[in-house]
Amino acid sequence: MSKSPAHSGRPPIQQLQTVVDLLETPTLARIYVYVSQNGPVTVAQLIDTLGVPQGTAYDYVQKLEAAGIVTKTREQRPYEYETDPISLTLSTDGETQTVTPALIAAVARRDEDEDINVYIDRHGLDGLAVALEYAYEYVDGTVNNRIAARELDLSPLEAEIILQALEPVAKAYADPAE
Amino acid sequence: MRTVYIADTGVFVRCGGPDKNKFQQLRRALRQAEVSLRIPQRVYEELGGDPAAEEYPSGNIPYPDGFEEGWITVADDLDYTNSTVSTVMDDARRFIANETDRKEDITEKADTALVGLAAQLLDIDEADHVVLLTTDKPAGRAAETLLPTHGFADRIEYRYVSEEYLEAITAEEFR
Repeated sequence: MSKSPAHSGRPPIQQLQTVVDLLETPTLARIYVYVSQNGPVTVAQLIDTLGVPQGTAYDYVQKLEAAGIVTKTREQRPYEYETDPISLTLSTDGETQTVTPALIAAVARRDEDEDINVYIDRHGLDGLAVALEYAYEYVDGTVNNRIAARELDLSPLEAEIILQALEPVAKAYADPAE
Repeated sequence: MRTVYIADTGVFVRCGGPDKNKFQQLRRALRQAEVSLRIPQRVYEELGGDPAAEEYPSGNIPYPDGFEEGWITVADDLDYTNSTVSTVMDDARRFIANETDRKEDITEKADTALVGLAAQLLDIDEADHVVLLTTDKPAGRAAETLLPTHGFADRIEYRYVSEEYLEAITAEEFR
């Protein structure tokens, strides 16, 4: 994360609700991912590309803007938007999890990739975040499905399914730990 | 020259999913080339061993069709009393542990079954050449690195089975 999380000037807790919404709403997540990968973009462009209904697209972009997760880069119509980097670390009882753009991108695939959807139903978003860490290593060739299966307490088949499903996300986003 | 093709769990997962075109394409390529994929016992168990995995579209792999039609066969058990097989597998455990930055006792025989089967087929002279189809990069590299040091130079080939690889596969791949 090159920019500071305070870049948007929005206090973290104000962003929290929208980040939660991003994790729960695949269409909102898809819009965020599109803007982050292609920005600056207009709402018309993302409607064309993602096939999201116009009303939903305008509502969602406004919601992301209000939370400081996207910002206008062009002040006249048609407005153009880009994202501010998200990195939200949550701690509860010694467990820490970071919400990253890559995790949101993984959630965004929920509608189009039923394997990711089933995995979230079975193991939750925390489970998905951990599997995503293994997916980076899987792409790098520093882990295989069998080792991941033992460490994540999955069967080798289930491990291979989720690692392959997360492969496009792991390829698109470099491991922030590296 | 007798070439034996060994396939790993990830190959079938890669074929799976709601779009089974890749499975049909692999099947067509193998049948045209009159080649079968040999799967280690361990892979056979992995493919059918987890009812939970059937909840996933990509876990619903129609691999029994391959047995019926003869283009997937299950390999003989690994012969651990064969010193070449057991030595190659021990070396592969070390190699995979090193590649994955794990302690050696974390890697198991399952991780090395592909490499062990390749060694066995070459050692008992059932194959002149072995091609390993896998998504397991550490195991693929182990095979390609270690088998030549056990006297099987130029007789092992590792092919990483990516999405693109499967989408482009034809019978030529097996000739």
